[in-house]
Amino acid sequence: MNKVKISAKNIDVFYGDKQALFDVSMDMYEKEVTALIGPSGCGKSTFLRCINRMNDVIDICSVKGNVSIDGHDIYDKSIRVESLRENVGMVFQKPNPFPKSIYENIAYGPRIHGMANSKTDIDEIVENSLQKAALFDEVKDRLHQPGTGLSGGQQQRLCIARAISVNPEIILMDEPCSALDPIATAKIEELMNELKKEFTIIIVTHSMQQAARVSTKTGFFHLGKLIEVDSTETIFSNPGNQKTQDYITGRFG
Amino acid sequence: MMKDHIVSAYDAQLELVSSNLIKMGGLVENQLKNSLQALSNKDTSFAEQIIFDDHKINALEKEIDALTYKIIAMRQPLANDLRVVLSALSIANDLERMGDHATNIAKRVANVKINLPDAPTIEIVKMGEDVQFMIKQVLDSFVKKSDKLAIKAWDSDVNIDDSYLNIYRELLETMAGNPETITGCSHLLSIAKNIERIGDYVQNIAEDIHFIVTGQALERKSEKRINWEDLNQ
Repeated sequence: MNKVKISAKNIDVFYGDKQALFDVSMDMYEKEVTALIGPSGCGKSTFLRCINRMNDVIDICSVKGNVSIDGHDIYDKSIRVESLRENVGMVFQKPNPFPKSIYENIAYGPRIHGMANSKTDIDEIVENSLQKAALFDEVKDRLHQPGTGLSGGQQQRLCIARAISVNPEIILMDEPCSALDPIATAKIEELMNELKKEFTIIIVTHSMQQAARVSTKTGFFHLGKLIEVDSTETIFSNPGNQKTQDYITGRFG
Repeated sequence: MMKDHIVSAYDAQLELVSSNLIKMGGLVENQLKNSLQALSNKDTSFAEQIIFDDHKINALEKEIDALTYKIIAMRQPLANDLRVVLSALSIANDLERMGDHATNIAKRVANVKINLPDAPTIEIVKMGEDVQFMIKQVLDSFVKKSDKLAIKAWDSDVNIDDSYLNIYRELLETMAGNPETITGCSHLLSIAKNIERIGDYVQNIAEDIHFIVTGQALERKSEKRINWEDLNQ
């Protein structure tokens, strides 16, 4: 069993008066893919966003409880959000490359984080990141063309390459394939399988088949509560909770 | 009570699997009942009818196979639904084999022109009726999704094994004492074996139903197994 990388304890999240998460506690393990599933509005994305403090940018949002990475509280006052997000990358539902060249999309992060000085260093990071995102061979001859000119699946892999260019340990993915066709989806899933050797991945997905295919553990959320978390195999073959079973078998009322 | 799926066509397909299984089980139960009656009455023309009826059971198995295949391809069932679909394949296969065993009894009745000794025949019919009850019990457990009933059916098989052993012993004695009964008694031996095998298939089905209901394999050992050494005593 891998060691616990991220530990959330008794998380409550409020948007103004409305409580979105209720007392969620969950451990996520190093170099594994953990999937978060549940119907729309169940709080899975809200929970994901707690892990890199994305909720901080929403004025009315408040988070109670504790999230720690490698035992360090990420909500501690001494933590710089920028360095947290350097360590915890994120990929969104819709591919959102910068309106810049493929090369610049990747180079931007390492440059502003001061991770590379010379052009050779940056070149190396760009190639490396694109290689890891399984995109290099497809774009190596047009690195200086706009990233937005790529196909949806390629753009999403570009966003993954951009996320890993700053050497994070954790990658959060919020429905990364929902805008992609099945082939592009399969490529991202295959990529996740490679990436988990190096990164801890948390993925929110509406596709239960995807959760079943890519993850080691799965958490099921409903109405802001974590109903059940277990090995993915158990969740999809013999879940412990009736609500989980009703949801994954398509019986949810 | 299980909730309905959001997609009602999915429920309709799963219900069709279940109703076909129950129908198939009913046919098998009836096939055994008829075979036992033909055996009791040494009714060869009834036996011919029973042999002909076997195709209905086989046809239902094919129907269930096709339907489960379709559900897996089109619906990707999970958890309890997946267990029902996978187990349906295995139950249908077992029921088809049970139907064959019941039909084999009728085949012997139809083809054997010699006299079958009466006393062991009566006992074999009695054993057959017990197995028939097990079939009913295991089908009930499927309808009610009751693992307790399934276990009850499973446990009954030990009595069938006992009866089989007694009948086997008695037939050996009859043959030893009266060599002209050897042909008739060997046919009865085969018939008894057919019935005993049907009991074993009921156990398989009981295990499937336990798996459907609980998600766990049934870990159970018979209190006793046939000990062939007993026959030498």
